[in-house]
Amino acid sequence: MTNIPIDAGLRTSGRSFDAWKFFGRYGALLVLGLMIVVVATLEPDTFATRDNAINILNQSALAAIIAMGLTFPLVAGEFDLSIGYNASLAGIVACTLMVDSGASIPVAFALAILGGAVIGLVNGLVVTGLGVNALVATLGVGTVVVGINYAIAGGLPVSVGEEAFIDITLGRFLGIPYPVYMMIVLAAILWVVLNRTVLGQSMQAVGGNPVAARLSGIRVDRIRVIVFIICGMCAALTGVLLASRTGNASVNGGDGYLLNAFAAAFFGSAVLRDGQFHIIGTIIGVVTVSVGFNAIALIGLGTYWQYLFQGTLLILGVGVATVARRRAG
Amino acid sequence: MRATETTTPQAAGNGVAPAGPPIVEMRGISKSFGGARALDDVSITLGAGDVLALCGANGAGKSTLVRILAGVETADAGTIRVAGEDVSIDSPQDATRLGLNFIHQELNLVPKFTGLQNMALGYEGGSRTGFLDRRAARRRAVEVIEGLGGGVPLDTEVERLTVSERWMISLGRSLMREARVIAMDEPTASFTEEEAERLFSVIADLTKSGVGVLYISHRLDEVLHVSRDVTVLRNGRMVGTFVADEIDRDRLTREIIGREVTDLAPPPEEAVERHLHSEPVLTVRGLAREPRVHGVDLDIHPREILGVAGLVGSGRTELARLMFGADSPTGGAMQLDGKDFSPRSPYDAIRRGVALVPEERRSEGLLLQESVARNIALATMHDDRQPTTRLLSPGRMRATAKEMVERFGIKVSSVDQLVGDLSGGNQQKVVVSKYVRAAPKLLILDEPTVGVDVGARGELYGIIRELAHAGAAIVLISSDFEELAICDRVAVMREGRVVDIVDGAHATKDHLTSLCYAVPEEKQA
Repeated sequence: MTNIPIDAGLRTSGRSFDAWKFFGRYGALLVLGLMIVVVATLEPDTFATRDNAINILNQSALAAIIAMGLTFPLVAGEFDLSIGYNASLAGIVACTLMVDSGASIPVAFALAILGGAVIGLVNGLVVTGLGVNALVATLGVGTVVVGINYAIAGGLPVSVGEEAFIDITLGRFLGIPYPVYMMIVLAAILWVVLNRTVLGQSMQAVGGNPVAARLSGIRVDRIRVIVFIICGMCAALTGVLLASRTGNASVNGGDGYLLNAFAAAFFGSAVLRDGQFHIIGTIIGVVTVSVGFNAIALIGLGTYWQYLFQGTLLILGVGVATVARRRAG
Repeated sequence: MRATETTTPQAAGNGVAPAGPPIVEMRGISKSFGGARALDDVSITLGAGDVLALCGANGAGKSTLVRILAGVETADAGTIRVAGEDVSIDSPQDATRLGLNFIHQELNLVPKFTGLQNMALGYEGGSRTGFLDRRAARRRAVEVIEGLGGGVPLDTEVERLTVSERWMISLGRSLMREARVIAMDEPTASFTEEEAERLFSVIADLTKSGVGVLYISHRLDEVLHVSRDVTVLRNGRMVGTFVADEIDRDRLTREIIGREVTDLAPPPEEAVERHLHSEPVLTVRGLAREPRVHGVDLDIHPREILGVAGLVGSGRTELARLMFGADSPTGGAMQLDGKDFSPRSPYDAIRRGVALVPEERRSEGLLLQESVARNIALATMHDDRQPTTRLLSPGRMRATAKEMVERFGIKVSSVDQLVGDLSGGNQQKVVVSKYVRAAPKLLILDEPTVGVDVGARGELYGIIRELAHAGAAIVLISSDFEELAICDRVAVMREGRVVDIVDGAHATKDHLTSLCYAVPEEKQA
């Protein structure tokens, strides 16, 4: 025992407060806090109100659901570029089932989400079975999904007049829209899956070191398939809710969520943790973007500011955190 | 300089007499890695047109010396002279500029590139614009390959070539520019006899043109055949430099092994007999995975510590991975506790009670960015679930980790510490704990003490003994033959086969090393 250098195992224990480390972990949160304070000062009457806060959360809900799903492949070290097309298809499938086949809302929802799961399964099988890189695999599958979408809808939007369908996203309970509850409940479930189940811990292990994970008895390929399925289901849920919000599924309505979800998840990886993807980080990423968009609208800036803001936020958020981690050593 | 003319057939008629200053001279080289001395005052001299062999057991310091010459490591002390001038080699680029070329075992070729493309990497001949002059590169490559005897396809992707063809491409790459020295690390490890013969004649041609060759090999007959001088290292120190003609294989083997005192307890006594009378835990019959493992037979008994000795590349790691389901065999069968055992993945093996502590601790054993507790839990996460909710309980996980930390004396500030911040010995104990938590009937450890300091090493041996005592069967793979003294029996592997099983009392470093080095004639006897 005496041969072991005393400090060998204790390198981090005596470390005093490290400003870089702190900044690396909490910098992104500081940005969000600072933004809220500044905008609240500038626009106290419109921004800092209960209604606007609910509005921001409501705006965040759909993006958060798809981004939380995307967090799973990212945690396991994979990518999914098919989520936007998957969401678009889910809206089309759900609405077409209701309009053409007279399916009830729950059945239409269930089948559309099942479709999302199948897309995820195919992604997972192409990645694990054929060994195709996830970027290429999901791009390919995503393109096929667009084709299926057009084959079903012929490129035209599908409208559903039913009040109950629209009410799913516009309805409120205690003054708060349903999608906000869905976001919160889903976040709680997904957080538990990722952090409190063998499955979730296995995903993190696969993302951390797939070789060590396999040699520790984790069935790596199975885990990879499952992350794609979860991601596909979340994407489809977002797609269906999007269609419900307008009562109308457009063929490319969900496409834009792809970049939003990636931006949110990557920004979120710089929140609280050292570059690891996690559910709470992803939600904070989505909310930060929504707060920014909301502020841009309230202050009355042009739409192009949204893009400038989102791009800058992503680069700064991840870049600063990376630099800070390097400095913290 | 030695004036003795060597009579090695290929090097005979060597036109370039070692008249000028030696082409490479390393003097008084020392190097330590965190407290451990890897090299202590080592000197070598290589003349133009000479072949100098570097010999020593695994871990003797050959690779460190070569890495210093290649600019990959920096020496703590000592001087290097190239063609009589003092030089400092701080990077691989420096070494290349000085005309020093290295053909490592991994070859460092780009698998998807053709032979020509690989050879053209870093070749700037004929180019004034910065663009690759492809015609000049091809002309030069063809010239080089012809010079090496030809017959190596230049337009085939390297991944589709045979090992010896790849090796020739790698050699060819270093000859694209003017080479003064070529260091070859275990070149013939995967060669057939004809391929090796061809290499020897290539070496003879190279030396005729004045190139110095540094030849590193475990194959002593080859060493004596191709080289003029042999420098022997043992535990980082120089044993001496011998003229190849004046020394025979037995003497060289003795110089490599040396006489050392083992500080490990002597092998256990009549207990061995008792273990062997019990039913084997694992029986292995004809297990093969071509081209590295050919038909291994082995019985492993409960409470037994079975050592596996062999040189690097003898198939030890491959055999362990087959028993653990990490690779699938091309032939043979195994039985675990009398029942058929053909694991398709480590998942199957762990569930049946077989665990492997892998050779590469950092890349195969650990999640470096995760905590000690999570790493220890990795193979047995199901046990950390709350019985009622079936959800993982971080509290339980940390409690079990704390038990392991205490049981194995792992030095951590807390079980939440990142495993990447621990010392090598403590990291290894974390990996061992992870698999011990799975309560294996058979625990295989592949080089468990590499990069582990002396104190922790002793503790690891203690853990291994304790596990065997508690009823587990242990397979201990090691290149450090002294540590095999704790084994009840030692299986010796050579070229993918178990060629001998020695009982503990006779498993001296001396004896094992000579078994590992046995020449082909002896093998057939």
